Amino acid sequence: MEIIKESKFDNFDSEKSVGIVKTQYFNFGGPPDEMMLENGAKLGPVTLAYETYGTLNQDKDNTILVFHALSGDAHAAGFSDKSDKKPGWWDSMIGPDKPFDTKKYFVLCANVIGGCKGSTGPSSINPATRRQYGLDFPLMSVKDMVDTQKKLLEYLEIEKLFCIVGGSMGGMLALQWIVSYPDISKGAMLIATAPSHSAQEIAFNSIGRYAIISDLNWNCGDYYNGNRPETGLSIARMIGHVTYISEGAIHKKFGRNINEEHNADAHESNNGENKNIKCPGPADFTNEFEVGSYLKYQGESFIKRFDANSYLYITKAIDDFDVSSGYANLADALSRVKAKCFVISFSTDWLYPAEQALKIVKALKINGIETTYTNFESPFGHDAFLIDDERLKKIFTGFLNSLWQ
Amino acid sequence: MRKFEVLNEWVDIKSKVLVLGCGNGEILKELKNKKDIRASGLDLDENKVCEAISEGLSVIQGDINRDLSDWPGKAFDYVIAHDIVQIMTRPDITIKQMVALGGKVIISFPNFAYFMIRFGMLFSGRMPKSNVLPYEWYNTPNIHLFTIKDFKEFCIKEKITIHKEAYTGAGKRKTPEKIIPNFFAEFAYFLIS
Repeated sequence: MEIIKESKFDNFDSEKSVGIVKTQYFNFGGPPDEMMLENGAKLGPVTLAYETYGTLNQDKDNTILVFHALSGDAHAAGFSDKSDKKPGWWDSMIGPDKPFDTKKYFVLCANVIGGCKGSTGPSSINPATRRQYGLDFPLMSVKDMVDTQKKLLEYLEIEKLFCIVGGSMGGMLALQWIVSYPDISKGAMLIATAPSHSAQEIAFNSIGRYAIISDLNWNCGDYYNGNRPETGLSIARMIGHVTYISEGAIHKKFGRNINEEHNADAHESNNGENKNIKCPGPADFTNEFEVGSYLKYQGESFIKRFDANSYLYITKAIDDFDVSSGYANLADALSRVKAKCFVISFSTDWLYPAEQALKIVKALKINGIETTYTNFESPFGHDAFLIDDERLKKIFTGFLNSLWQ
Repeated sequence: MRKFEVLNEWVDIKSKVLVLGCGNGEILKELKNKKDIRASGLDLDENKVCEAISEGLSVIQGDINRDLSDWPGKAFDYVIAHDIVQIMTRPDITIKQMVALGGKVIISFPNFAYFMIRFGMLFSGRMPKSNVLPYEWYNTPNIHLFTIKDFKEFCIKEKITIHKEAYTGAGKRKTPEKIIPNFFAEFAYFLIS
Protein backbone atom coordinates (compact mmCIF):
# COMPACT_ATOMS: atom_id res chain seq x y z
CA MET A 1 0.00 0.00 0.00
CA GLU A 2 1.26 3.44 -0.89
CA ILE A 3 1.90 5.71 2.05
CA ILE A 4 -0.05 8.89 1.53
CA LYS A 5 1.38 11.65 3.67
CA GLU A 6 -0.78 14.43 2.40
CA SER A 7 -4.53 14.44 2.51
CA LYS A 8 -6.19 14.87 -0.80
CA PHE A 9 -8.40 17.88 -0.97
CA ASP A 10 -9.44 20.32 -3.62
CA ASN A 11 -9.95 24.02 -3.12
CA PHE A 12 -13.09 23.56 -1.06
CA ASP A 13 -13.04 26.72 1.06
CA SER A 14 -9.30 26.19 1.35
CA GLU A 15 -8.74 29.57 2.99
CA LYS A 16 -10.23 28.38 6.26
CA SER A 17 -10.65 24.65 5.91
CA VAL A 18 -8.54 21.63 5.11
CA GLY A 19 -11.20 21.02 2.45
CA ILE A 20 -12.29 17.60 1.28
CA VAL A 21 -10.54 14.84 3.17
CA LYS A 22 -10.43 11.12 2.73
CA THR A 23 -10.32 8.60 5.54
CA GLN A 24 -7.47 6.15 5.10
CA TYR A 25 -7.03 2.67 6.50
CA PHE A 26 -3.99 0.99 7.98
CA ASN A 27 -4.11 -2.77 8.31
CA PHE A 28 -1.77 -4.83 10.43
CA GLY A 29 -1.65 -7.82 12.73
CA GLY A 30 -2.87 -10.40 10.25
CA PRO A 31 -2.18 -13.99 11.31
CA PRO A 32 0.28 -15.09 12.56
CA ASP A 33 1.28 -11.59 13.72
CA GLU A 34 -1.84 -10.77 15.71
CA MET A 35 -1.55 -7.97 18.19
CA MET A 36 -1.15 -8.99 21.81
CA LEU A 37 -3.43 -6.88 23.98
CA GLU A 38 -2.62 -5.72 27.50
CA ASN A 39 -4.77 -8.50 28.99
CA GLY A 40 -3.01 -11.18 26.94
CA ALA A 41 -5.79 -11.62 24.37
CA LYS A 42 -4.88 -11.62 20.70
CA LEU A 43 -6.48 -9.38 18.11
CA GLY A 44 -5.90 -9.45 14.39
CA PRO A 45 -6.05 -8.47 11.71
CA VAL A 46 -6.49 -4.90 12.93
CA THR A 47 -7.64 -1.95 10.86
CA LEU A 48 -7.13 1.64 11.97
CA ALA A 49 -9.09 4.38 10.23
CA TYR A 50 -7.18 7.63 10.13
CA GLU A 51 -7.12 11.02 8.51
CA THR A 52 -4.23 13.41 7.98
CA TYR A 53 -4.20 17.14 7.33
CA GLY A 54 -1.27 19.25 6.22
CA THR A 55 2.10 18.01 5.02
CA LEU A 56 4.80 16.07 6.81
CA ASN A 57 7.98 18.15 6.62
CA GLN A 58 11.36 16.91 5.49
CA ASP A 59 12.66 16.40 9.04
CA LYS A 60 9.44 14.53 9.88
CA ASP A 61 9.13 16.44 13.13
CA ASN A 62 5.97 18.49 12.64
CA THR A 63 3.34 15.86 13.39
CA ILE A 64 0.55 16.57 15.84
CA LEU A 65 -1.25 13.42 16.90
CA VAL A 66 -4.85 14.08 17.91
CA PHE A 67 -6.79 11.63 20.08
CA HIS A 68 -10.58 11.77 19.87
CA ALA A 69 -13.09 11.46 22.69
CA LEU A 70 -15.53 8.61 23.48
CA SER A 71 -17.92 9.05 20.55
CA GLY A 72 -15.43 10.73 18.22
CA ASP A 73 -13.73 9.42 15.12
CA ALA A 74 -10.82 9.94 12.75
CA HIS A 75 -12.68 12.65 10.88
CA ALA A 76 -11.40 15.59 12.91
CA ALA A 77 -11.41 18.31 10.26
CA GLY A 78 -12.63 19.18 6.80
CA PHE A 79 -15.45 17.59 4.83
CA SER A 80 -15.81 14.03 3.65
CA ASP A 81 -17.47 15.17 0.44
CA LYS A 82 -19.05 18.24 -1.01
CA SER A 83 -22.52 17.37 0.26
CA ASP A 84 -21.20 17.15 3.83
CA LYS A 85 -23.05 19.71 5.95
CA LYS A 86 -20.86 19.54 9.03
CA PRO A 87 -17.07 19.49 9.11
CA GLY A 88 -15.00 17.12 11.29
CA TRP A 89 -15.38 17.28 15.06
CA TRP A 90 -12.43 19.63 15.72
CA ASP A 91 -12.58 21.75 12.59
CA SER A 92 -12.50 24.87 14.78
CA MET A 93 -8.95 23.96 15.83
CA ILE A 94 -7.48 22.16 12.81
CA GLY A 95 -6.88 23.94 9.50
CA PRO A 96 -4.96 26.73 7.82
CA ASP A 97 -4.11 29.51 10.32
CA LYS A 98 -5.98 27.69 13.08
CA PRO A 99 -4.12 26.57 16.24
CA PHE A 100 -3.25 23.20 14.69
CA ASP A 101 -2.16 25.07 11.62
CA THR A 102 -2.06 22.75 8.63
CA LYS A 103 0.33 25.17 6.90
CA LYS A 104 2.89 24.32 9.59
CA TYR A 105 1.88 20.99 11.05
CA PHE A 106 1.02 17.52 9.85
CA VAL A 107 -2.07 16.60 11.84
CA LEU A 108 -2.98 12.96 12.30
CA CYS A 109 -6.11 11.53 13.91
CA ALA A 110 -7.02 7.84 14.12
CA ASN A 111 -10.16 6.10 15.31
CA VAL A 112 -9.53 3.95 18.40
CA ILE A 113 -9.75 0.18 18.30
CA GLY A 114 -12.98 -1.03 19.83
CA GLY A 115 -14.70 1.80 17.99
CA CYS A 116 -17.16 1.68 15.14
CA LYS A 117 -15.86 4.38 12.82
CA GLY A 118 -13.67 2.33 10.54
CA SER A 119 -11.26 0.83 13.06
CA THR A 120 -11.58 -2.76 14.22
CA GLY A 121 -14.20 -3.13 16.92
CA PRO A 122 -17.01 -5.42 18.08
CA SER A 123 -19.06 -4.62 14.96
CA SER A 124 -16.20 -5.71 12.67
CA ILE A 125 -16.17 -9.14 11.08
CA ASN A 126 -14.37 -11.75 13.14
CA PRO A 127 -12.24 -13.70 10.64
CA ALA A 128 -12.65 -16.85 12.77
CA THR A 129 -16.46 -16.90 12.50
CA ARG A 130 -17.06 -14.59 9.51
CA ARG A 131 -19.68 -12.87 11.62
CA GLN A 132 -19.48 -9.67 13.65
CA TYR A 133 -17.34 -10.12 16.76
CA GLY A 134 -19.99 -9.02 19.23
CA LEU A 135 -18.80 -10.10 22.66
CA ASP A 136 -16.08 -12.27 21.12
CA PHE A 137 -14.17 -9.02 20.70
CA PRO A 138 -11.45 -8.97 23.36
CA LEU A 139 -11.62 -6.33 26.09
CA MET A 140 -9.13 -3.67 25.08
CA SER A 141 -7.53 -0.99 27.23
CA VAL A 142 -6.59 2.64 26.75
CA LYS A 143 -2.99 1.41 26.53
CA ASP A 144 -4.01 -0.91 23.68
CA MET A 145 -5.64 2.03 21.89
CA VAL A 146 -2.38 3.97 22.25
CA ASP A 147 -0.20 1.04 21.17
CA THR A 148 -2.14 0.56 17.93
CA GLN A 149 -1.63 4.23 17.10
CA LYS A 150 2.09 3.82 17.74
CA LYS A 151 2.03 1.09 15.11
CA LEU A 152 0.36 3.53 12.72
CA LEU A 153 3.19 6.00 13.31
CA GLU A 154 5.76 3.29 12.58
CA TYR A 155 3.93 2.47 9.36
CA LEU A 156 3.97 6.16 8.40
CA GLU A 157 7.68 6.21 9.31
CA ILE A 158 7.20 9.00 11.85
CA GLU A 159 9.61 8.71 14.77
CA LYS A 160 9.13 12.10 16.42
CA LEU A 161 5.96 13.96 17.29
CA PHE A 162 5.72 17.69 17.69
CA CYS A 163 2.78 17.38 20.04
CA ILE A 164 0.05 15.02 21.11
CA VAL A 165 -3.33 16.34 22.10
CA GLY A 166 -6.56 14.90 23.41
CA GLY A 167 -9.67 15.94 25.28
CA SER A 168 -11.69 13.80 27.69
CA MET A 169 -10.96 10.16 26.73
CA GLY A 170 -8.48 11.57 24.22
CA GLY A 171 -6.68 13.20 27.14
CA MET A 172 -6.36 9.80 28.78
CA LEU A 173 -4.79 8.43 25.61
CA ALA A 174 -2.41 11.39 25.55
CA LEU A 175 -1.51 10.82 29.19
CA GLN A 176 -0.93 7.11 28.58
CA TRP A 177 1.15 8.02 25.51
CA ILE A 178 3.63 10.20 27.41
CA VAL A 179 4.08 7.39 29.93
CA SER A 180 4.30 4.55 27.35
CA TYR A 181 6.38 6.50 24.82
CA PRO A 182 8.05 9.30 26.77
CA ASP A 183 10.76 10.06 24.21
CA ILE A 184 8.61 10.62 21.18
CA SER A 185 6.68 13.85 21.67
CA LYS A 186 7.94 17.36 22.45
CA GLY A 187 4.63 18.47 23.89
CA ALA A 188 1.40 17.07 25.29
CA MET A 189 -1.96 18.79 25.69
CA LEU A 190 -4.13 17.06 28.26
CA ILE A 191 -7.58 18.58 28.07
CA ALA A 192 -10.61 18.06 30.34
CA THR A 193 -9.28 14.71 31.44
CA ALA A 194 -8.28 12.60 34.43
CA PRO A 195 -5.49 10.21 35.44
CA SER A 196 -8.24 7.72 36.30
CA HIS A 197 -12.03 7.89 36.59
CA SER A 198 -13.62 8.86 39.86
CA ALA A 199 -16.58 6.92 41.25
CA GLN A 200 -18.90 9.57 39.79
CA GLU A 201 -17.55 9.12 36.27
CA ILE A 202 -17.73 5.35 36.58
CA ALA A 203 -21.27 5.75 37.91
CA PHE A 204 -22.53 7.57 34.83
CA ASN A 205 -20.84 5.10 32.48
CA SER A 206 -22.25 2.20 34.52
CA ILE A 207 -25.79 3.53 34.09
CA GLY A 208 -25.14 3.85 30.37
CA ARG A 209 -23.86 0.31 30.09
CA TYR A 210 -26.73 -0.99 32.19
CA ALA A 211 -29.24 0.75 29.89
CA ILE A 212 -27.71 -1.08 26.92
CA ILE A 213 -27.41 -4.54 28.43
CA SER A 214 -30.94 -4.28 29.86
CA ASP A 215 -32.32 -3.68 26.39
CA LEU A 216 -33.68 -7.08 25.30
CA ASN A 217 -32.49 -6.38 21.77
CA TRP A 218 -28.92 -6.31 23.01
CA ASN A 219 -29.02 -10.12 23.14
CA CYS A 220 -25.59 -10.50 24.75
CA GLY A 221 -24.06 -8.37 22.04
CA ASP A 222 -25.35 -10.53 19.21
CA TYR A 223 -27.75 -8.18 17.49
CA TYR A 224 -26.15 -7.28 14.18
CA ASN A 225 -28.58 -9.36 12.15
CA GLY A 226 -31.68 -8.28 14.04
CA ASN A 227 -33.12 -5.39 15.99
CA ARG A 228 -30.46 -3.29 17.65
CA PRO A 229 -30.54 -2.17 21.30
CA GLU A 230 -31.52 1.32 20.24
CA THR A 231 -33.48 2.23 23.37
CA GLY A 232 -30.59 1.23 25.61
CA LEU A 233 -27.98 3.05 23.56
CA SER A 234 -30.08 6.19 23.27
CA ILE A 235 -30.65 6.30 27.04
CA ALA A 236 -26.91 5.83 27.56
CA ARG A 237 -26.29 8.78 25.26
CA MET A 238 -28.92 10.92 26.98
CA ILE A 239 -27.18 10.39 30.32
CA GLY A 240 -23.79 11.03 28.80
CA HIS A 241 -24.99 14.17 27.08
CA VAL A 242 -26.22 15.68 30.35
CA THR A 243 -22.79 15.13 31.88
CA TYR A 244 -21.08 16.93 28.99
CA ILE A 245 -22.92 20.22 29.46
CA SER A 246 -22.89 22.52 32.45
CA GLU A 247 -25.84 23.06 34.73
CA GLY A 248 -25.87 26.73 33.76
CA ALA A 249 -25.71 26.13 30.01
CA ILE A 250 -28.49 23.55 29.94
CA HIS A 251 -30.72 25.75 32.09
CA LYS A 252 -30.02 28.81 29.97
CA LYS A 253 -30.91 26.86 26.84
CA PHE A 254 -34.09 25.19 28.07
CA GLY A 255 -35.06 26.46 31.49
CA ARG A 256 -38.35 24.91 32.54
CA ASN A 257 -39.82 25.36 29.09
CA ILE A 258 -42.59 23.04 28.05
CA ASN A 259 -42.41 21.52 24.61
CA GLU A 260 -45.81 22.57 23.23
CA GLU A 261 -45.27 20.72 19.98
CA HIS A 262 -44.73 17.46 21.77
CA ASN A 263 -47.84 17.90 23.86
CA ALA A 264 -49.91 18.54 20.74
CA ASP A 265 -48.40 15.42 19.11
CA ALA A 266 -49.07 13.28 22.13
CA HIS A 267 -52.80 13.68 21.71
CA GLU A 268 -52.70 12.57 18.13
CA SER A 269 -51.99 9.07 17.02
CA ASN A 270 -48.36 8.07 16.95
CA ASN A 271 -46.94 6.70 13.77
CA GLY A 272 -44.13 4.17 13.78
CA GLU A 273 -41.46 6.82 13.40
CA ASN A 274 -42.45 8.62 16.55
CA LYS A 275 -41.34 6.62 19.54
CA ASN A 276 -43.35 8.57 22.09
CA ILE A 277 -44.86 6.17 24.53
CA LYS A 278 -48.64 6.48 24.44
CA CYS A 279 -50.77 5.03 27.17
CA PRO A 280 -54.57 4.99 27.43
CA GLY A 281 -54.83 7.14 30.58
CA PRO A 282 -54.74 10.93 30.64
CA ALA A 283 -51.26 11.20 32.18
CA ASP A 284 -48.30 11.74 29.86
CA PHE A 285 -44.84 11.09 31.25
CA THR A 286 -42.87 11.44 28.05
CA ASN A 287 -40.86 14.49 27.17
CA GLU A 288 -43.14 17.35 28.01
CA PHE A 289 -40.14 19.47 28.98
CA GLU A 290 -38.03 20.90 26.19
CA VAL A 291 -34.86 19.62 27.79
CA GLY A 292 -36.35 16.11 27.73
CA SER A 293 -37.19 16.17 24.05
CA TYR A 294 -33.78 17.66 23.28
CA LEU A 295 -32.09 14.75 25.04
CA LYS A 296 -34.39 12.27 23.33
CA TYR A 297 -33.38 13.77 20.01
CA GLN A 298 -29.69 13.50 21.00
CA GLY A 299 -30.18 9.85 21.91
CA GLU A 300 -32.02 9.04 18.71
CA SER A 301 -29.46 10.65 16.46
CA PHE A 302 -26.67 8.89 18.32
CA ILE A 303 -28.03 5.41 17.55
CA LYS A 304 -27.68 6.15 13.85
CA ARG A 305 -23.96 6.73 14.18
CA PHE A 306 -22.75 4.57 17.03
CA ASP A 307 -22.64 0.89 17.89
CA ALA A 308 -23.93 -0.21 21.31
CA ASN A 309 -21.18 -2.79 21.80
CA SER A 310 -18.51 -0.20 21.01
CA TYR A 311 -20.11 2.01 23.66
CA LEU A 312 -19.78 -0.83 26.17
CA TYR A 313 -16.19 -1.68 25.27
CA ILE A 314 -14.91 1.89 25.16
CA THR A 315 -16.62 3.10 28.35
CA LYS A 316 -15.30 -0.01 30.12
CA ALA A 317 -11.78 0.74 28.87
CA ILE A 318 -11.85 4.31 30.18
CA ASP A 319 -13.42 3.25 33.48
CA ASP A 320 -10.66 0.65 33.90
CA PHE A 321 -7.98 3.18 32.93
CA ASP A 322 -5.52 4.24 35.60
CA VAL A 323 -2.30 5.66 34.21
CA SER A 324 -0.57 4.90 37.51
CA SER A 325 -1.36 1.17 37.46
CA GLY A 326 1.88 -0.74 37.68
CA TYR A 327 3.54 2.23 39.39
CA ALA A 328 3.78 3.24 43.05
CA ASN A 329 1.59 6.28 42.42
CA LEU A 330 0.73 8.89 39.80
CA ALA A 331 3.93 10.89 40.37
CA ASP A 332 5.94 7.70 39.92
CA ALA A 333 4.12 6.94 36.65
CA LEU A 334 4.73 10.45 35.35
CA SER A 335 8.40 10.44 36.36
CA ARG A 336 9.08 9.04 32.89
CA VAL A 337 7.50 12.01 31.13
CA LYS A 338 9.78 14.15 28.98
CA ALA A 339 7.18 16.15 27.06
CA LYS A 340 6.35 19.69 28.05
CA CYS A 341 2.78 19.44 29.32
CA PHE A 342 -0.24 21.68 29.02
CA VAL A 343 -3.09 20.63 31.28
CA ILE A 344 -6.45 22.34 30.82
CA SER A 345 -9.65 21.97 32.81
CA PHE A 346 -12.83 23.97 32.32
CA SER A 347 -14.44 26.02 35.05
CA THR A 348 -17.93 24.55 34.56
CA ASP A 349 -16.91 20.96 33.79
CA TRP A 350 -18.42 18.88 36.58
CA LEU A 351 -17.69 15.55 34.90
CA TYR A 352 -13.90 16.05 34.80
CA PRO A 353 -13.51 18.79 37.40
CA ALA A 354 -10.36 20.85 37.99
CA GLU A 355 -9.43 18.64 40.97
CA GLN A 356 -8.64 15.79 38.59
CA ALA A 357 -6.56 17.95 36.27
CA LEU A 358 -4.74 19.24 39.34
CA LYS A 359 -3.76 15.69 40.27
CA ILE A 360 -1.92 15.51 36.96
CA VAL A 361 -0.41 18.98 37.48
CA LYS A 362 0.75 18.04 40.98
CA ALA A 363 2.39 14.83 39.74
CA LEU A 364 4.14 16.73 36.94
CA LYS A 365 5.36 19.39 39.40
CA ILE A 366 6.70 16.72 41.76
CA ASN A 367 8.80 15.49 38.86
CA GLY A 368 9.95 18.99 37.96
CA ILE A 369 8.41 18.72 34.47
CA GLU A 370 7.74 22.00 32.70
CA THR A 371 3.99 22.38 33.03
CA THR A 372 1.33 24.84 32.03
CA TYR A 373 -2.12 24.74 33.56
CA THR A 374 -5.29 26.74 33.49
CA ASN A 375 -8.79 26.16 34.74
CA PHE A 376 -10.24 27.86 31.68
CA GLU A 377 -13.32 30.02 32.23
CA SER A 378 -16.09 28.73 29.99
CA PRO A 379 -19.82 28.34 30.50
CA PHE A 380 -19.97 25.20 28.33
CA GLY A 381 -19.03 22.42 30.76
CA HIS A 382 -17.07 19.35 29.73
CA ASP A 383 -17.63 19.88 26.00
CA ALA A 384 -16.02 23.35 26.17
CA PHE A 385 -12.94 22.11 24.30
CA LEU A 386 -15.10 21.43 21.23
CA ILE A 387 -16.49 24.97 21.18
CA ASP A 388 -15.03 27.53 18.76
CA ASP A 389 -13.57 29.97 21.31
CA GLU A 390 -11.01 32.66 20.41
CA ARG A 391 -9.38 32.70 23.86
CA LEU A 392 -9.02 28.93 23.82
CA LYS A 393 -7.47 29.07 20.36
CA LYS A 394 -4.98 31.67 21.59
CA ILE A 395 -3.71 29.52 24.47
CA PHE A 396 -3.47 26.48 22.18
CA THR A 397 -1.44 28.52 19.69
CA GLY A 398 0.74 29.97 22.46
CA PHE A 399 1.58 26.55 23.84
CA LEU A 400 2.36 25.10 20.40
CA ASN A 401 4.58 28.10 19.59
CA SER A 402 6.48 27.55 22.84
CA LEU A 403 7.41 24.04 21.68
CA TRP A 404 9.54 25.45 18.87
CA GLN A 405 11.91 27.00 21.39
CA MET B 1 11.96 50.06 34.67
CA ARG B 2 14.02 49.69 37.80
CA LYS B 3 12.66 46.21 38.52
CA PHE B 4 13.97 44.87 35.20
CA GLU B 5 17.31 46.52 35.85
CA VAL B 6 17.68 44.75 39.19
CA LEU B 7 16.37 41.38 37.99
CA ASN B 8 18.50 41.38 34.85
CA GLU B 9 21.51 42.16 36.97
CA TRP B 10 20.86 39.44 39.54
CA VAL B 11 19.54 36.55 37.45
CA ASP B 12 22.13 34.38 35.70
CA ILE B 13 21.87 33.63 32.02
CA LYS B 14 20.03 30.40 31.01
CA SER B 15 18.90 29.77 34.57
CA LYS B 16 15.64 28.14 35.60
CA VAL B 17 13.32 30.76 37.03
CA LEU B 18 9.91 30.64 38.73
CA VAL B 19 8.05 33.92 39.10
CA LEU B 20 5.28 33.92 41.70
CA GLY B 21 2.28 36.09 40.94
CA CYS B 22 3.62 36.41 37.42
CA GLY B 23 0.43 37.99 36.05
CA ASN B 24 0.49 38.14 32.27
CA GLY B 25 4.17 37.23 32.28
CA GLU B 26 5.83 40.64 31.99
CA ILE B 27 8.86 39.70 34.09
CA LEU B 28 9.14 36.24 32.54
CA LYS B 29 9.18 37.71 29.04
CA GLU B 30 11.80 40.29 29.97
CA LEU B 31 14.10 37.69 31.54
CA LYS B 32 13.52 35.30 28.66
CA ASN B 33 14.53 37.95 26.14
CA LYS B 34 17.47 39.35 28.06
CA LYS B 35 18.77 36.36 30.01
CA ASP B 36 17.46 33.40 27.99
CA ILE B 37 15.97 31.84 31.12
CA ARG B 38 13.81 28.73 31.33
CA ALA B 39 10.74 30.55 32.51
CA SER B 40 7.92 29.28 34.70
CA GLY B 41 5.20 31.26 36.40
CA LEU B 42 2.40 30.90 38.90
CA ASP B 43 -0.62 33.15 39.14
CA LEU B 44 -4.16 32.92 40.45
CA ASP B 45 -5.86 35.07 37.81
CA GLU B 46 -7.22 32.94 34.95
CA ASN B 47 -7.36 35.84 32.53
CA LYS B 48 -3.75 36.85 33.10
CA VAL B 49 -2.58 33.23 33.06
CA CYS B 50 -4.25 32.73 29.67
CA GLU B 51 -2.58 35.91 28.36
CA ALA B 52 0.79 34.55 29.48
CA ILE B 53 0.11 31.11 27.95
CA SER B 54 -0.93 32.80 24.70
CA GLU B 55 2.54 34.39 24.67
CA GLY B 56 4.08 30.93 24.88
CA LEU B 57 5.00 31.06 28.56
CA SER B 58 4.81 28.07 30.91
CA VAL B 59 2.47 29.30 33.60
CA ILE B 60 0.44 27.37 36.12
CA GLN B 61 -2.81 28.82 37.40
CA GLY B 62 -2.51 28.38 41.13
CA ASP B 63 -2.34 29.97 44.54
CA ILE B 64 1.02 31.05 45.99
CA ASN B 65 -0.41 30.36 49.44
CA ARG B 66 -1.18 26.72 48.65
CA ASP B 67 0.59 25.48 45.57
CA LEU B 68 4.32 25.82 46.24
CA SER B 69 4.73 22.57 48.11
CA ASP B 70 4.59 20.14 45.14
CA TRP B 71 7.83 21.03 43.40
CA PRO B 72 10.96 19.22 44.59
CA GLY B 73 13.58 21.13 46.61
CA LYS B 74 15.77 23.46 44.53
CA ALA B 75 13.62 22.83 41.45
CA PHE B 76 14.54 26.33 40.26
CA ASP B 77 17.69 28.43 40.20
CA TYR B 78 15.68 31.50 41.13
CA VAL B 79 12.27 32.00 42.66
CA ILE B 80 11.05 35.57 42.31
CA ALA B 81 8.29 37.29 44.29
CA HIS B 82 8.03 40.85 42.99
CA ASP B 83 5.76 43.13 44.99
CA ILE B 84 3.56 40.34 46.34
CA VAL B 85 4.92 39.33 49.74
CA GLN B 86 2.56 41.84 51.33
CA ILE B 87 -0.47 40.07 49.84
CA MET B 88 0.52 36.56 50.96
CA THR B 89 -1.65 34.95 53.63
CA ARG B 90 1.39 33.81 55.60
CA PRO B 91 4.55 35.45 54.22
CA ASP B 92 6.72 33.57 56.72
CA ILE B 93 5.56 30.15 55.50
CA THR B 94 5.65 31.09 51.83
CA ILE B 95 9.09 32.73 51.99
CA LYS B 96 10.48 29.62 53.67
CA GLN B 97 8.92 27.50 50.90
CA MET B 98 10.48 29.78 48.30
CA VAL B 99 13.90 29.40 49.91
CA ALA B 100 13.48 25.60 49.81
CA LEU B 101 12.38 25.73 46.16
CA GLY B 102 14.99 28.05 44.67
CA GLY B 103 18.76 28.10 44.72
CA LYS B 104 18.32 31.83 45.15
CA VAL B 105 15.23 33.85 45.97
CA ILE B 106 14.48 37.40 44.93
CA ILE B 107 11.97 39.28 47.04
CA SER B 108 10.90 42.85 46.44
CA PHE B 109 8.40 44.91 48.41
CA PRO B 110 7.28 48.45 49.20
CA ASN B 111 9.04 49.71 52.31
CA PHE B 112 6.42 50.85 54.80
CA ALA B 113 9.03 52.89 56.69
CA TYR B 114 9.72 55.10 53.66
CA PHE B 115 9.94 58.71 54.94
CA MET B 116 7.02 59.92 52.80
CA ILE B 117 4.83 57.25 54.38
CA ARG B 118 6.09 58.16 57.87
CA PHE B 119 5.42 61.86 57.32
CA GLY B 120 2.16 61.16 55.55
CA MET B 121 0.81 59.31 58.53
CA LEU B 122 2.25 61.79 60.97
CA PHE B 123 0.66 64.80 59.34
CA SER B 124 -2.52 63.46 57.70
CA GLY B 125 -3.45 60.91 60.36
CA ARG B 126 -4.66 58.59 57.60
CA MET B 127 -3.45 55.30 56.16
CA PRO B 128 -0.73 56.16 53.67
CA LYS B 129 -1.27 56.08 49.92
CA SER B 130 1.39 56.33 47.24
CA ASN B 131 2.31 55.11 43.78
CA VAL B 132 3.41 51.77 45.17
CA LEU B 133 0.58 51.60 47.73
CA PRO B 134 -2.35 53.06 45.80
CA TYR B 135 -5.25 51.39 47.65
CA GLU B 136 -7.72 52.53 50.30
CA TRP B 137 -7.58 50.81 53.68
CA TYR B 138 -10.80 48.94 52.94
CA ASN B 139 -9.92 47.50 49.54
CA THR B 140 -6.19 46.94 49.71
CA PRO B 141 -4.86 43.46 48.95
CA ASN B 142 -1.79 44.42 51.01
CA ILE B 143 -2.52 42.65 54.26
CA HIS B 144 1.05 42.32 55.54
CA LEU B 145 2.84 45.63 55.19
CA PHE B 146 6.37 45.66 56.54
CA THR B 147 9.65 47.53 56.46
CA ILE B 148 13.19 46.86 55.34
CA LYS B 149 14.20 46.58 58.98
CA ASP B 150 11.39 44.06 59.62
CA PHE B 151 12.49 41.97 56.67
CA LYS B 152 16.14 41.93 57.68
CA GLU B 153 15.18 40.85 61.21
CA PHE B 154 13.00 38.11 59.74
CA CYS B 155 15.94 36.85 57.67
CA ILE B 156 18.18 36.70 60.74
CA LYS B 157 15.51 34.86 62.74
CA GLU B 158 14.93 32.32 59.94
CA LYS B 159 18.67 31.98 59.19
CA ILE B 160 18.17 33.29 55.68
CA THR B 161 21.27 34.78 54.06
CA ILE B 162 20.97 38.13 52.31
CA HIS B 163 23.34 38.20 49.32
CA LYS B 164 22.37 41.41 47.63
CA GLU B 165 20.07 44.35 48.23
CA ALA B 166 18.89 47.21 46.05
CA TYR B 167 16.59 50.14 46.67
CA THR B 168 14.61 52.72 44.81
CA GLY B 169 13.48 56.04 46.20
CA ALA B 170 10.91 58.54 45.01
CA GLY B 171 10.38 58.44 41.25
CA LYS B 172 11.93 54.95 41.18
CA ARG B 173 15.42 56.42 41.15
CA LYS B 174 18.15 54.21 42.44
CA THR B 175 18.89 54.93 46.09
CA PRO B 176 22.37 54.32 47.46
CA GLU B 177 22.22 51.42 49.89
CA LYS B 178 24.29 53.15 52.50
CA ILE B 179 22.05 56.12 53.15
CA ILE B 180 19.58 54.72 55.71
CA PRO B 181 17.48 52.69 53.25
CA ASN B 182 14.75 52.06 55.80
CA PHE B 183 14.09 55.81 55.71
CA PHE B 184 14.86 56.82 52.13
CA ALA B 185 13.93 53.74 50.09
CA GLU B 186 10.38 53.45 48.77
CA PHE B 187 10.93 50.00 47.33
CA ALA B 188 13.41 47.25 48.26
CA TYR B 189 14.91 44.23 46.47
CA PHE B 190 16.65 41.36 48.23
CA LEU B 191 18.54 38.38 46.85
CA ILE B 192 18.45 35.72 49.54
CA SER B 193 18.92 32.01 50.05
